[in-house]
Amino acid sequence: MQINFGGREIALKLVYYGPALSGKTTNLKSLYELTSEASHGRLMTLETKDDRTLFFDMLPLVLRAESARPSGGMTLRIKVFTVPGQVLHSSTRRLVLQGADGVAFIADSQKSETEHNAASFLDMRQNLQELGLNPKQLPMVIQFNKRDMDRVRSDEEIGVLASRGREPVFKASAVQGKGVLETFFGLLYVTWAKLDGEHNLAQMLGIESDALLPLAARQLGLEAEVSTLLSACVGGALDRSLKVRA
Amino acid sequence: MTSGAPDVATDDLLLDGRIRLEDLVDREGLDELCNSFVALFGIRVRIYSSDGGLLADAGGEQELCLYLNGLTDGRKACASTVGAVRARDPGDAGDVVHPCFTGATYRILSLEYDRRRVGRLIVGPFVPASVTDAPTSLLKIDAAVEKGRAQELLDKMPRAKPQTVTRIAEHLKAALDLILFSGHKAFVTSKVHVASVRESYRQLEEKTARLQEAFDRLKELDHLKSNFLATVSHELRTPLTSIIGYSEMLAEGLAGEMKPEQLEFVKTIQDKGAQLLSLITGLLDLGKLESGTMRMVRRTLALGPVLDEVVSTLAPTARKKGVKLDLDAGVDIANLRGDPERLRQVFLNLVENALKFTPGGGVVTLCARMAGVDEGAGGDEDGLALLAPTRARIEVRVIDTGIGIPARERTKVFDAFYQVDSTSTRQYGGTGLGLSIVKRLVESHGGTIGIEDNEPKGTVFVVSLPQSTPSSAPGAA
Repeated sequence: MQINFGGREIALKLVYYGPALSGKTTNLKSLYELTSEASHGRLMTLETKDDRTLFFDMLPLVLRAESARPSGGMTLRIKVFTVPGQVLHSSTRRLVLQGADGVAFIADSQKSETEHNAASFLDMRQNLQELGLNPKQLPMVIQFNKRDMDRVRSDEEIGVLASRGREPVFKASAVQGKGVLETFFGLLYVTWAKLDGEHNLAQMLGIESDALLPLAARQLGLEAEVSTLLSACVGGALDRSLKVRA
Repeated sequence: MTSGAPDVATDDLLLDGRIRLEDLVDREGLDELCNSFVALFGIRVRIYSSDGGLLADAGGEQELCLYLNGLTDGRKACASTVGAVRARDPGDAGDVVHPCFTGATYRILSLEYDRRRVGRLIVGPFVPASVTDAPTSLLKIDAAVEKGRAQELLDKMPRAKPQTVTRIAEHLKAALDLILFSGHKAFVTSKVHVASVRESYRQLEEKTARLQEAFDRLKELDHLKSNFLATVSHELRTPLTSIIGYSEMLAEGLAGEMKPEQLEFVKTIQDKGAQLLSLITGLLDLGKLESGTMRMVRRTLALGPVLDEVVSTLAPTARKKGVKLDLDAGVDIANLRGDPERLRQVFLNLVENALKFTPGGGVVTLCARMAGVDEGAGGDEDGLALLAPTRARIEVRVIDTGIGIPARERTKVFDAFYQVDSTSTRQYGGTGLGLSIVKRLVESHGGTIGIEDNEPKGTVFVVSLPQSTPSSAPGAA
């Protein structure tokens, strides 16, 4: 996170991590499609000819406080990044992960990918540690993507897994745009809860703490209620502390 | 930040990264873009950076402006208008109109990227379609203004409806936005690329440092081991010499006559003592060879007598075992440079080995020949036709009809303490030091040693030694 008082801006960095071909870029593309033109900048992607992310993708989102004192509040810039999943881009992954405020781990639901998911998670944990970040304290959500495919882990299995884990879990089919906003809002929720608690960001933005997510939903041009989005979460710590103003 | 963290701060790059128009856009390219707009619409276009620097200016002065600039008050008024336009903020809406006393107007628009203002676009002057006659503000600006001339020049100025200018400006802004995005993307990409490479390099360096550290430690350990070996061997030899010496004296009866049984025991002590001594000498040699402290007395010598001596020394052993020992040395064997004592040790060891592993009725042959230059070496070296004859090698083969050495063992037998048959019940004794010492001795003479098959049965040890070079060219390596 960076707070720029001169520029009246708060910048958050959210990172979509996960194994190769798990759909991180697809999540970002869907997020781009599903949010309003006014709220996001251009989606910057850098792909190789076989559609694999070479360095990273970046989607900037801009939220402004809708307060009574228009010049008083600051702007919240959220930059959403993806890392390259392929093993060989290890150093780029670490660079992108550096300074992350929250991480959405995009896992592949296919049973055959179980080990890749785990390996990528361990890779992330190691990278975080090397960056001096404590993986336990970093806001994180897990998405089981590719629910539309065959031979995937069943909903029941994911439910069981999610109830055992600490991180909020979301199910998604990013190519169909399903579960993408839910995951994003889950991530925004846990990230905001931690950062606002530590830095009083709401006050800087001139809003109430629990007004950010509804504000984000409005400015991103979403029709869905925040509580509906968040209720898609299975397991993890999200639902236990859920407190969102309607 | 931990020591393993990248030293590249990409946060600035990826998170905040203020975009500056002047950093991303090629000036000449921007000029060309603006010129193409002027060519299309005929209206002057200027682009300023966020801190007011002029980045592009296309279209040039209007004739009316040039005319007014030729008049004293006109020039003052012009300068003040231009200054005001240049300083004008496009406001929150990002689009303002600034009038000129000539009746023309300027449009000042905000250039934004990533929802931040990165510069300003100034379009104009142009005459709004509604203005037809030269206004009083133009005619009265300077006493010298001629009405007819002013009207004529005003008519020559580009005319446009505000909506048209809006469309032109939007178009230019869109083109600029694309350029900015492309530039930004390339900029970020190259930065991340460089950072990634640096990060990979840093990781490699760390790994290399760790390996180097481990390597240095191992080398030091190895050195310690060699020293230890040398010291221990030396210390062991001193008391052993006494043991052998005194048992010899006992056996010779210097301390009085001994019974046959006592004599047998003393002889056993003597034998085993001698065996131990040779083992310790071997260890000491190996230690010295490894630490490079083996003293060599090198001189030019003929190999023939060395081999003769080896054969005559071992002839009794061969006879006792019923093995035929032959020497076949060519007449043309060149001289070589080396330590005769050490070379004798090499061949003594090899022949002794051959005899040990050859059963009775077998044959061990010691054969020396001249061999050509190594074919692999110096193939494209210049002057080889002249140099090659001086680089001939002497090959000595120790051929036996013994049990042979399996191909996969052939490099390992030269390792210290290695035994092909390492079981405790092995048939043949030995310390496993002999061949490792032989190899190091041969190498210290600039030679090589290898093993070949002896069809149908047995082993051939091939020792290849360089002949002594009469003289090498001055300065040659």
